[in-house]
Amino acid sequence: MVNMLDHVTPSADPAIEKLGFDEALAELQRTVAELEAGGQPLERALALHERGAALLEHCNRLLTDADLRVRQLVAVAGKGLQAVDVKPDEAQEVPESGAG
Amino acid sequence: MTRPQPPDWTLPAWDALPDERAPAARPPVAPGTFGLRILNVSDVSRAIREAVRGDERLRDVWVEGEVSRVTISSAGHAYFALKDERSQLQCVWFRDERLRSAFEPQAGLRIVVHGRVDLFEPQGALQLYVESIQPAGFGDLALRFEALKARLATEGLFDAGRKRPLPSRPATIGVVTSPTGVVWRDISHVLARRWPLARVVLVACRVQGEGAPASIVTALRRLDRYIEECRAAGRPEDAPAVTILARGGGSLEDLWAFNDEAVVRAVVAHTVPLVCGVGHEVDVTLADFAADVRAPTPSAAAEIVVPDRLEFAASLRRANDRLRNAMGARLATAARDLAVERRALDRLSPVARLAAGREQVGLLFDRATRAIEARLAGDGMRLERAADTLSRQATGRVAAARAALSGAAAALAVLGPQATLDRGYAIVRRTADGAIVRDPADAPTGTALRLRVARGELPATVDPDGRG
Repeated sequence: MVNMLDHVTPSADPAIEKLGFDEALAELQRTVAELEAGGQPLERALALHERGAALLEHCNRLLTDADLRVRQLVAVAGKGLQAVDVKPDEAQEVPESGAG
Repeated sequence: MTRPQPPDWTLPAWDALPDERAPAARPPVAPGTFGLRILNVSDVSRAIREAVRGDERLRDVWVEGEVSRVTISSAGHAYFALKDERSQLQCVWFRDERLRSAFEPQAGLRIVVHGRVDLFEPQGALQLYVESIQPAGFGDLALRFEALKARLATEGLFDAGRKRPLPSRPATIGVVTSPTGVVWRDISHVLARRWPLARVVLVACRVQGEGAPASIVTALRRLDRYIEECRAAGRPEDAPAVTILARGGGSLEDLWAFNDEAVVRAVVAHTVPLVCGVGHEVDVTLADFAADVRAPTPSAAAEIVVPDRLEFAASLRRANDRLRNAMGARLATAARDLAVERRALDRLSPVARLAAGREQVGLLFDRATRAIEARLAGDGMRLERAADTLSRQATGRVAAARAALSGAAAALAVLGPQATLDRGYAIVRRTADGAIVRDPADAPTGTALRLRVARGELPATVDPDGRG
């Protein structure tokens, strides 16, 4: 089976790839703290370091590659509120007459 | 603050009409006569103070004028003069009121000051004690503004205790503004530049004109409802964690929607912390007071709600350093442990033992070699000495032997047959066995003989004739 991500990030942990920024950051902070506390067997330390580096890389990539996503909240008759993806410069002025 | 001139109450006021009637109309008062009462300074000050405080018009005044000579004392109080073409009025703005305001008096600025007039007795200074300051141009609106502000303030809507802290890294940000203006563009640019991880939920509203307050209120309520729906649907990350309410600069009337009571109440009731960025730095609206955070401009509001990713990258680099340092320390420990173990292992390994054995052998060998060499050296010397002795002895002996030998040879020569042979004797031997023939019987006829004479040998045979 071919992993579609292989050609992009050959060494990336797929579990890390799925993490959101905040989750990855929180885990990174835990990892650093644990490694700094020390006292673990060498294998554990190496694993922590490797995971920390991967988390860091993931955070960095998210920060670098992210594009601001904008959704506009509109009231659709009969459907209530809907958040519609828009480009920032294509957002629409309010057409309605105050129904909310 | 400069010391004001002493009150010129003994002189006619600037607008007093000159009294052109005959001075005879006044009763003459001669100096130094009875009827004159000499007051002390405090009495006069008190009289002025009572007059000022007793005047309704001076107790709650709105004064418009131009600011000049602003000084801020070390205690944080602001002193300045408010002037027009003819007059100046000293103003004092105490620290607490001043810090609560977003507006600062600056020289040359036209402002409207709200406060009361009172006498500062130690200096005999009549001053305006400032409660609030607004940019000039309010007119009636300023009064309505202050009245509404005072009413809402008594309800506690502007209390500092109500203010909620902003989330540090909101995943989703609500923006309530007009999406067609420069304001929305600025906000989205700032967010995209600083924190593009953020998702934005834009709620369009009108920000000026008759319908603006209702539109703003509707937008905020929709956002409230959307946040509630997201949370109920188990998608809390889709719900804005902070909301920006923004509008660009404009005239006082343009910004008036943000002083609307319904808007203020919607801001206060908003589900998540709200940052208000309306107009420019100097524009202060009631929505600003009601918001959790007041931003001086819409762009500033966007900057306040998200971190800067460049700064954040620096903190990630610090995390990287910590990670590396911790790992480095751990590896150093491991290396030390390893070195200890290796030394222990080295002592136990067969190779090591062999090496140790070899070393020991080597040492022994060395010792042996040295011992042998030492001994050999000693032996050599002894040997040399022995050889010397030997050779000396040998030489002596040989000489002695030679001497003995030559003696023996002489003796031999004396004892040997040669001399006898020299005298003519011969030695007869049988040729067959070499036996010396001493008896003729030993040599029958025909026996081959050899005759040894002094100078050689002669062959002979026993002849039958002569016998007999």
